[in-house]
Amino acid sequence: MSAIILRNLVKRYEADMAVHDINLNVEAGEFVVLLGPSGCGKTTTLRMVAGLEDVSEGEIYIGGELANDLAPKDRGIAMVFQNYALYPHMTVRQNMEFALRPLRLDRAEVNRRITETAEILGLDEYLARRPSQLSGGQRQRVAMGRAMVRTPEVFLFDEPLSNLDAKLRTKVRWEIGYLHRRLGMTTLYVTHDQTEAMTLADKIVIMRQGRIEQVGTPEEVFVRPRNTFVATFIGTPAMNLVPAVSADANLHAKDFSLPMPQKFRNHVPEGLEVLIGIRPSNINLADSGPANVFAASVRGIEYLGTDALLDLRVGSEELVAEIPAILRPEVDAQIHVSFDMQSLQLFDAKTGQSLESI
Amino acid sequence: MLKPATSEKLLCTVLIAIALAVFLVPIFIVAVSSVKPTPIMFQKPPSFVFEPTADHYINLFTARPFAKFIWNSLLVACGSTAFSLTFGTLAAYAISRIRHRRIKDLAFWILSMRMFPPIAVIVPYYILFKTAGILDTPLALIIVYSTVNIPLTTWLMKGFFDEVPAALEEAAAVDGHGLLATFFWITLPLVAPGLAVSAVFCFIFSWNEFIFALMLTGSEAQTATVAVMSFWSSDAVQWGRIMAGSFIIVIPGVVFVLTCQRWLVRGLTMGSVR
Repeated sequence: MSAIILRNLVKRYEADMAVHDINLNVEAGEFVVLLGPSGCGKTTTLRMVAGLEDVSEGEIYIGGELANDLAPKDRGIAMVFQNYALYPHMTVRQNMEFALRPLRLDRAEVNRRITETAEILGLDEYLARRPSQLSGGQRQRVAMGRAMVRTPEVFLFDEPLSNLDAKLRTKVRWEIGYLHRRLGMTTLYVTHDQTEAMTLADKIVIMRQGRIEQVGTPEEVFVRPRNTFVATFIGTPAMNLVPAVSADANLHAKDFSLPMPQKFRNHVPEGLEVLIGIRPSNINLADSGPANVFAASVRGIEYLGTDALLDLRVGSEELVAEIPAILRPEVDAQIHVSFDMQSLQLFDAKTGQSLESI
Repeated sequence: MLKPATSEKLLCTVLIAIALAVFLVPIFIVAVSSVKPTPIMFQKPPSFVFEPTADHYINLFTARPFAKFIWNSLLVACGSTAFSLTFGTLAAYAISRIRHRRIKDLAFWILSMRMFPPIAVIVPYYILFKTAGILDTPLALIIVYSTVNIPLTTWLMKGFFDEVPAALEEAAAVDGHGLLATFFWITLPLVAPGLAVSAVFCFIFSWNEFIFALMLTGSEAQTATVAVMSFWSSDAVQWGRIMAGSFIIVIPGVVFVLTCQRWLVRGLTMGSVR
């Protein structure tokens, strides 16, 4: 049974549609990430699940129960807020106690849970401190602790790492992943950071303008993006999209041609305008000569340590390539490149939909 | 930070000294005069070396029931402060949280209570209270002062409530708390500085008020401010008692403000978000 079911969920503000007909199943124990650019409706969706926003249309089921009209306190959820929302006038211990109070546990059980949670999160030393006496990372952990002590059925995270600096973000990301594997709680997690989504999620839900663009495992959305939005949104640097026309089992771009990859050959019609999707990491340096190797000029280089990004021109097409830094050419050099044909993507130029048969 | 120039420092010191003198000299004169024997009270030049006397204070409490008047003042000031804080705070919370297009009009209507001159309503109040049979009781003054203090408290507290991050109340809601528990355990403690400020304003206004107290009270519910004035009669002006009474009146206000002062610190919300 799914822990959370969203059915035809709609959120309207006056005339604006913030969330547009969302359907989603979150299985028990699953870690689902809502990912999208700001304003895509992911936080609104999360807040509707939490009961902090009214549902305009559609249904929310939590643990099999229709939750539309339940108050937040009756939904069996815990939430970690973007800005942590710790109670500033209470110590860390009191913050957790306050979260436990509605459960009416006896004193010993309250203490046991707080001790246990503090131990898991490494907060033992800070129980007597107030939030203002803690660092950002510690506050973040207190926010998680306050959610965890209640052992809720469902965990909601609203961009929990966005207020942390980059170094700490990586560390806390590991911790969240570790906690989820250890405790196995059902989690709905909102972020605009694709790294968080890719590393943490069992299932990524990519949203844009209030709609779901694709639902899939991190690998699925990376390897088989359903449309150009997902293709360019997932992956850094973004996927290159080259306009081309299909003809004679070939793809003719303005200044070069490629053979149509095998997997598309049977169902991409002749004369269709397409976009060829090539990930920067699928462009390789090559020796001149053999077929499907193209001359390119290097307009710029970004050295990243292990890898380097090349700003290339193949004819008039601008392409970004990611190659091992040690192989990088000079700026303005004339080089040859080939594409990893296995991983090419094709999209309908008009609709932006993937042409891969699924 | 740049160190301010010596001349700037000097200027600041002088200005502060002038300001302090303006406020403190009258209180100093009141304090000195209240223990000065009557014969030398208006001596020119004023003498500051004399044998202090407690006569004025003794007369104050023996000739008239001044203790009772102080009690009345305390009762009225505390009563109105408590009443205004309770209702003003609740109203402010509602105005701050309810999303409705007419809520601003309601807030303005409450503020408009303060816009007409109080003197205009003294006679209607008199008639009302006489009819209701509460003329010359502390209750009458508590009601009158609250009509002034509630709008003040409402507007002050609205500002403080607006500053409490919505996420804190949402967190409490998700943690399983209802509206009342959230209000009393989370929101209210965070606006404590606002409560202190409001309490100080309400108390001082009620304690110092004169006109309403003069018109709406007689011998029973008379407050200290009115009582002091009664030593100024057509026969004689008993300066010693007036000075002694005035000095006593100053004390509760100072004590109250000092008590509230430790709550008047801002920054309680620091560290909650971000």
